[in-house]
Amino acid sequence: MSDRPEPSPTAPVPAPIDLRTAFRERGYVAGDALVTALRLVVALGKPLLLEGPAGVGKTEAAKTLAGALGARLIRLQCYEGLDAQAALYEWNYARQLLHLRAAEAGGRPVTDAELYGPEFLMRRPLLEAISQPTPPVLLIDEVDRADDAFEAFLLELLAEWQVTVPELGTITATARPHVILTSNRARELSDALRRRCLYLWVDYPSRAQELEIVKARLPGISESLAAQVTRAVHTLRELPLGKPPGVAETLDWAAALVALHRDHLDEGALHVTLGAVLKLREDQALARATLERLARG
Amino acid sequence: MGTSLDAPPHLLPADLPARVVAFAARLRAAHGFLIGPGEVTDALRALGAVDVLRLREVRDALRLVFTASPAQAPVFDAEFDAFFRPRTGPPPPELPPLLPQTEAPPPPPQRVQGEAGEPRPVPGESRAEDSLEAGEVQALQGRTPPRETEGEPDDPADPPRLLQARLSPHAGEGGRVEAGGDDLPELLRAAGALVRAVELGRAQRRVPMSRGTRLDLRRTLRGSAKTAGDPARLRWLGRPRRAPRFLIVLDGSRSMGRNATLLLRFAHALHLRARRVEVYAFSTALTRLTPTLRGAPPGEALHLPDLGDAWGGGTRIGENLLRLARDERARVTRDTIVLILSDGLDTGEPEDLTRALRDLGHRAGLLAWLSPLAATPGYQPVQRAVQAALPHLDAFLPAGGVADLHALARALRGRW
Repeated sequence: MSDRPEPSPTAPVPAPIDLRTAFRERGYVAGDALVTALRLVVALGKPLLLEGPAGVGKTEAAKTLAGALGARLIRLQCYEGLDAQAALYEWNYARQLLHLRAAEAGGRPVTDAELYGPEFLMRRPLLEAISQPTPPVLLIDEVDRADDAFEAFLLELLAEWQVTVPELGTITATARPHVILTSNRARELSDALRRRCLYLWVDYPSRAQELEIVKARLPGISESLAAQVTRAVHTLRELPLGKPPGVAETLDWAAALVALHRDHLDEGALHVTLGAVLKLREDQALARATLERLARG
Repeated sequence: MGTSLDAPPHLLPADLPARVVAFAARLRAAHGFLIGPGEVTDALRALGAVDVLRLREVRDALRLVFTASPAQAPVFDAEFDAFFRPRTGPPPPELPPLLPQTEAPPPPPQRVQGEAGEPRPVPGESRAEDSLEAGEVQALQGRTPPRETEGEPDDPADPPRLLQARLSPHAGEGGRVEAGGDDLPELLRAAGALVRAVELGRAQRRVPMSRGTRLDLRRTLRGSAKTAGDPARLRWLGRPRRAPRFLIVLDGSRSMGRNATLLLRFAHALHLRARRVEVYAFSTALTRLTPTLRGAPPGEALHLPDLGDAWGGGTRIGENLLRLARDERARVTRDTIVLILSDGLDTGEPEDLTRALRDLGHRAGLLAWLSPLAATPGYQPVQRAVQAALPHLDAFLPAGGVADLHALARALRGRW
């Protein structure tokens, strides 16, 4: 890779930003490893692959990074069947046709260059990301949902930072985006993609960390309710649940209790808000005894 | 922040890059990490971006560059501590030195039930706070796969012994597993037939095909340039067949005897024939074998490292399948064929088994149970576990020898 001319280097952060503080100001309590990872994303210009269970804040980390850097967030949501076309660009056929008709009516010939000009090009997230004058944060979300072919295509983009549009030629990144990929491990990613990226496994936070997160995101919550909710969620995660609650569920649950003006977790409160934290009927049945014990205190 | 986190003077001299290079070489040679010159360069650049006075930041940065999966995190941490642990200052605690020469610990520790509410160390994220935070002793303890020690006694004298026991190649229930045999060609034929027999339906993604369901406008128009703009030859887009994914769960308990190694070799053969094969073994605990099988040379006897509680012990089918169903939940889809290879002699609770199989059965394309016992004449499925499992299975088949494995493809055809 070193023999190629580098695309214009990642613009350094104007002034050194204390990412931990910047994240905290945005209600995101980031651990040491994540802070170091994000600093390296900015400093080395390498993509970061965040892997871990659903609901631990992987996507949120990318959004918060964009906010902290004052950069634009461009998001590509991956799904089965996603192809390079849908991720890169499409031509606006309808507008091209109208343009042709109008030109014909006016007796004016239309050249290829005109018909395939930038005004008819619809940029999709990846092309958009490499066309920015300042480095955006490019979030490639749930990359494990896309198939092998798309992953191979991504490899090329992440290595070269350029794409080829047949009608326009090769487009090279004007500013290298800060790339964050997330994966829930629905599919094993290739070694090649992993090697292109910095790698961080993000797991559920410790109880103390999660309590901090709840308090940071819901400033109005009472200390005791926050502690109760956090303790309950951690107890639930120890059960063999089909879908263990993530941090997102903890926050939903706490927010639901606050919205219902509950200041502590009793049986009634549990009953009406259980759906915010356990999303499978089987899990709810499995956890019933544990929850009743928690509600009793 | 403990003082032990500040790098001692010996870490800073100009030999830090050389030590990082040696460290990378060690990870590559001893543990098979995919580390090339590019990664080493990145690691050195990363050190330029963090505060090298703080050992924790150095460790986090190197871990980000050198590891590529959660399974590698504990190995990395153990090696990092062995390489960069201060060697001066107060004498090390009375714990034994940390396995610098042992093989990689088993793949990612499975989650086990621990003390309710106990803060749980996690790979990557939380371990950063835990293992180096409180000085040397904790740093040493932090090197073990964190979840494995959960629920273990808190006696400070215990962890070192546990560590040794778990990581010693001679410890555990089963010791090293040798699965030799010259039946690989036979097994490959059986595996190939099974892969070919699978018909899961069509992928979502459309690709150019000679016959398809949708006209490929772009290629048709491009092709029409050859025929003066007349689209004489139509091109098509179609959906290719979906490639199957196999999830194999192998009962390695004592009662399985020689059948376990036969089925292990079959799993290996299937791994050689299909791209996506995930293999787990369980006895009293559950272990992921895929990385080991991936690295095993075909045609030679399989050598598995000590699988501890996952091989040669008693059987707790339900509990382990429940854990598997939870850990693999996101990956078990309609493309997945789950093969459970077990004799069904279980000491656990049938309710756990029922719950796990119901979950797997709902999500997977096919759920089949292969039993060596079922191959014996006059066999009746009377075992508690098998009784509990039968209502949730798509197939319950014998697997007593190579001939039974050959018959698998025919027996399973048309069941999905």
